[in-house]
Amino acid sequence: MKPFQFISATNPGDAVARLTKNPEAAFLGGGTNLLDLMKEHVSLPNEIIDIGNLSLKEIKATATGFHLGALAKNTETANHPLIRKHLPLLSKAILAGASAQIRNMATNGGNLLQRTRCSYFYDISMPCNKRVPGSGCAALEGFNRMHAIFGWSEQCVAVYPSDMAIALSALNATVKVKTSVAERLIPFKDFHLLPGNHPEKDNSLAHGELITGIEIPNNSLAAHSAYVKVRDRNSYAFALVSVAAGLSLNGNLIQSAHLAMGGVAHKPWRALQAEDFLKGKPATIANFTKAAELEMASAKALPNNRFKIEMGRKTLINALQLAFKG
Amino acid sequence: MENSTKSIGKGIDRIDGILKITGKATYATDYPAKNMAYAVLFKSTIAAGQITKIDSTEAEKYPGVIKVITHENAPRLNTKGGLRGGALLQGPEIIFHGQHIGIVVAETFEQATAAAHLIKVEYNQKAEKTNFEKLAETPTMPKGKELADQVRGAGKSAMKTAEVTVEELYETPIEHHHPMEPHATMAMWEGDKLTLYNGSQIINGAQTAAAATLNMKPEQVRIISPFIGGGFGSKGGQWANLVLTAVAAKMVNRPVKLALTRQQMFNSVGLRQRNMQKLSIGATKEGKLVALAHEIISHTAINDEYIEPCGDCTKIMYDVPNSLITYRVVPMNIILPTYTRGPGKSTGSFALESAMDELAYKLKMDPIELRIKNEPPKDPSNGKPWSSRTTVKCLQEGAKAFGWDKRKAEPGTNKIGDDLIGYGVACGTYPARQRDSSAIIKLTLKNKVVHAKVEIAASDLGTGTNTILAQTAADGLGLPVNQITVKLGDSDLPPAAGSVGSVGASSFANAVNDACIKITDELLAKSGKQFFVRPTAAQLMISESFTDFQTRSDSKAPAEAEKYSAHSFNANFAEVRVNSITGMVKVTRFLAVTGAGKILNPKTARSQIIGGNVWGIGMALTEESVIDPRYGNFATRSFADYHVPTNLDIGNLDAMFINEEDLIPNKMGVKGIGEVGIVGVAAAVANAVFNATGKRVRSLPITPDKLL
Amino acid sequence: MKQNKTQLTPEEHRLFGDLMPEELEEVIQSGFNRRHFVKLMGLASAGLLASYALGAEQLFARAVETDEIPDLIPNAIENGVNVTFKVNSSSKSILIDSRMTLLDTLRERIGLTGSKKGCDHGQCGACTVIVDGHRVLSCLTLAATCQGKSVITIEGLAKENELNPMQAAFLKHDGFQCGFCTPGQICSAVALMKEAKEGQASFATTHISADAKPILLSDEEIAERMSGNICRCGAYPNIVAAIKEAQTGKNVPQNWLFTD
Repeated sequence: MKPFQFISATNPGDAVARLTKNPEAAFLGGGTNLLDLMKEHVSLPNEIIDIGNLSLKEIKATATGFHLGALAKNTETANHPLIRKHLPLLSKAILAGASAQIRNMATNGGNLLQRTRCSYFYDISMPCNKRVPGSGCAALEGFNRMHAIFGWSEQCVAVYPSDMAIALSALNATVKVKTSVAERLIPFKDFHLLPGNHPEKDNSLAHGELITGIEIPNNSLAAHSAYVKVRDRNSYAFALVSVAAGLSLNGNLIQSAHLAMGGVAHKPWRALQAEDFLKGKPATIANFTKAAELEMASAKALPNNRFKIEMGRKTLINALQLAFKG
Repeated sequence: MENSTKSIGKGIDRIDGILKITGKATYATDYPAKNMAYAVLFKSTIAAGQITKIDSTEAEKYPGVIKVITHENAPRLNTKGGLRGGALLQGPEIIFHGQHIGIVVAETFEQATAAAHLIKVEYNQKAEKTNFEKLAETPTMPKGKELADQVRGAGKSAMKTAEVTVEELYETPIEHHHPMEPHATMAMWEGDKLTLYNGSQIINGAQTAAAATLNMKPEQVRIISPFIGGGFGSKGGQWANLVLTAVAAKMVNRPVKLALTRQQMFNSVGLRQRNMQKLSIGATKEGKLVALAHEIISHTAINDEYIEPCGDCTKIMYDVPNSLITYRVVPMNIILPTYTRGPGKSTGSFALESAMDELAYKLKMDPIELRIKNEPPKDPSNGKPWSSRTTVKCLQEGAKAFGWDKRKAEPGTNKIGDDLIGYGVACGTYPARQRDSSAIIKLTLKNKVVHAKVEIAASDLGTGTNTILAQTAADGLGLPVNQITVKLGDSDLPPAAGSVGSVGASSFANAVNDACIKITDELLAKSGKQFFVRPTAAQLMISESFTDFQTRSDSKAPAEAEKYSAHSFNANFAEVRVNSITGMVKVTRFLAVTGAGKILNPKTARSQIIGGNVWGIGMALTEESVIDPRYGNFATRSFADYHVPTNLDIGNLDAMFINEEDLIPNKMGVKGIGEVGIVGVAAAVANAVFNATGKRVRSLPITPDKLL
Repeated sequence: MKQNKTQLTPEEHRLFGDLMPEELEEVIQSGFNRRHFVKLMGLASAGLLASYALGAEQLFARAVETDEIPDLIPNAIENGVNVTFKVNSSSKSILIDSRMTLLDTLRERIGLTGSKKGCDHGQCGACTVIVDGHRVLSCLTLAATCQGKSVITIEGLAKENELNPMQAAFLKHDGFQCGFCTPGQICSAVALMKEAKEGQASFATTHISADAKPILLSDEEIAERMSGNICRCGAYPNIVAAIKEAQTGKNVPQNWLFTD
């Protein structure tokens, strides 16, 4: 690791002020991704501001839904009685990710800031526009089996690796951010970015901003939700494709469908075309299939990941069926 | 001392287990040393060419840095000293991506690591040979004599005479050993004597290779390796890091610790090469084999040749009059391939035993019946009689225990919910051999209690050597196990074979057993008395009040063994559950039935067998290293990309042993189990996947995308 | 550098108790030699380690935990951070380089080498320790963040002469081969017992919305929850059996079959 000053922040204001002062500083939450990246010399902060002791750990019900403290651990979140009862989709998605040890360390805010696991991004001897803008994308014509089928650009074909965020996307979460002057709310769909010409930017946070919490609106999906993850081994592996599905039903009629996909894009991929199609339609296999086909029609495969289109289609249908069954 | 019950054959707990479960077992980097310095390696970022400039100015100025070592200031070493893979910092040539090009030694690991990132290297790059598919179109003959074309009868041309044929291409990817302990060494010099703490499957091999490379005498080098955090072949031959640690320690005149990172493990300590295997079987309608051909293309390194013998199982498994085995190779800019668990047999049996399953399906015959029908009465490769062969027994007993009769012959017809269930079977084999080994037994008597110390430069990489040697000595001397101390893992001890190629247990246990017989004979002679019933060594020590006595035995394989073909055999039974939507596979049940002669300790033997099974399941379902041919680097470069099976990937595994006494290969009747446990496993799983889904996957691993 | 300032456990004291006091001091200061060993051959003391004669010689080969941690030379530390935390039963105060992980601090500075470095990137679990009751990866934990925390390592699980039941179960069920991943597996499994008692859910849990209550773990639940600990030797079924036995307190049979 590159040498760095280590400082413990005493309160959120202090943390934001310190980070704002130093463009090369970084917050340290659970550290499960940051330390990994620092050891690989991908992340090179010269100052680490430990925010682990800040009191942003509360998980609670609010007037409009639920609040997740940014520094609550993934394990606490997945196991919180409120979350298990009212947002089982979120619990399930969190528990699909990483390992028990990592979930015990990783924070909710940190989870949203995970960087891609593209091996060319991690290998500093390789070109990578995300790591070194303008150096090229080694994955575009390289080993891109794990990579994107939606929304990629010639600059970057990496995927975003989180499971938790796929559920948060389906649940219409909002990210609460503290800046040096105020607080702002970022709708989940605007939080993560597609690569475009600036793959170095994963999300819409500005330097100096601190995630303080995640807000999830009340919903009626608890009884009809599912998280399906397809991966190369049965546990402790990133998704080839994952789907978070929630259905708001009136009898057999779909009032609204909430669908997000992981492992397919640079951000949680909200399956809006499928959602639009399903709205107001009966929950049948035929409709699920049609919706999945509509969504996957716009997918564009890379040389090594053509299978993801069929896998995505099947997984969407599967998740919808499981969600419907409850 | 009463010794009514034998220890051999009992499933006692590992005698070194207590140290492992309390964190007290000492691996290479666990030893303290005064004034230790830390070394890290840095590596080439091209696959072929020359270093034109290494600028280490900034690194040398970095706080705590003691020395930067490159080919420009490294001492000249003997590159033919027996280390594998080269990369000894002897010149500017680069022959593979990730070749060691230098070492940074610093006060701390953190400083050495940070400083290594400050080194600037310039290269003159050459076109690299890294595209296996392309190179495989024009392969060459291997140099090794044992890899020459092997033709029996009319060879492959007899395929024409067959009524039913299977001709398919089977592919296995590059795999990495990835023992949990990355290769690491701690080197300490005292004058011209060198001590190397280093996990070594062959203690004396590591000693002689290190000494020869450093232009020293073997007796000047001591290897200490009481515990090894896994090896699986990668710690059999030793690699550059062993000697480079010694070089660093010499140059900074301090003890030095050097551990490879997990990422560096991909291109530092060998790998299992990628294989393309064309398997052709011809048979009569009744299922009698008439022709068998196994044509293999694989790769090796630019600077050396290692090719795993994929055709070995094919040579001996079935009774067929006409056969052909050929090896072709392409040299590539890649680290030298090396022995990897079940070398050749594990990958070769995937091709052979998959093809047998395909043939059985074409014949509409049960795959067990097909195998039994083609059982060879003697070794078809050399005409020697079997010392014993248990294939049929393994198949029959296994079928009974596993519930083979519940298998549905027609694929894709056994469905529970979204899951497809399938059964598969496949056989395997591995040679049984004994290698030269010596052992010393030291007996002491104190307060009327006899203790024995067994000394042998054997190794225990989790195989249970400590325990089986204590059991062997206990029975050989007439003592309970807890009065035996086993000392191994140190080159100062009597020389021994290694824990490689399944020769460990037979070589070490026979050496200890011979020493027990010898010491008893010598004590008898010393007593000058006659006994009606031969007393044990322990009884003699007590009755004659001998306080100290020791002897050494040097053991060899019996000459008679040469006249026979001696092998361990197995039959593997797999049950898989395939999710018909996601394509994810889980091996829910697995049974390995093994005929491996005398089982010294069934508890540790079972662990070794199921460990081999887990390796085979990894080969079948999850493990693959991918080279990006544009750069020659591994695109899979960490444990996040290289999928070793997790606990959840493994279902119920059972091990069954055939109770057999075969004293031909060696006096103890031990055949070895470390390697055979993986042989046939991948094929059993792939055959089960076919039975479940109707999809025949001939290119491993069987990841979900291949079953969509 | 490290002094072997005595850290003998009571059990080790018992085992080596027959040595003369000055010999014991010699052993502690400079390690174990043949003369000591021969002496110990005569011992028949009961106890944890005595029945494993092999253990005796190894005990003194290992790094020894030190109470007073010697400072490194000033040049060896950049961005020094003073940190005080509890390791097993004792409090440690130490000046470290800000980059130092908890794993390297335990191994290289404190002399507790039981926790292992298998990947250094949170992908294998060999470095698992228990911090404030939770299993975490010491390789992804900066030691500087451990101020005031309590760390339990493999060395801290056995009490006096008694193994933690999880350790005993691993031994009985042969839940390891090479032993390198074992400290992490056992720490992970010990923490898992608490998680099960609290009714924590896993991805294998079917009714996630149900109220949390103590769980008797199925084989599949154990396997999923232990999947963060890679075992390359493939001892997984034995690990599952050991954990099952430790959780239920009931004998889980060990199966190896023979046939004629």
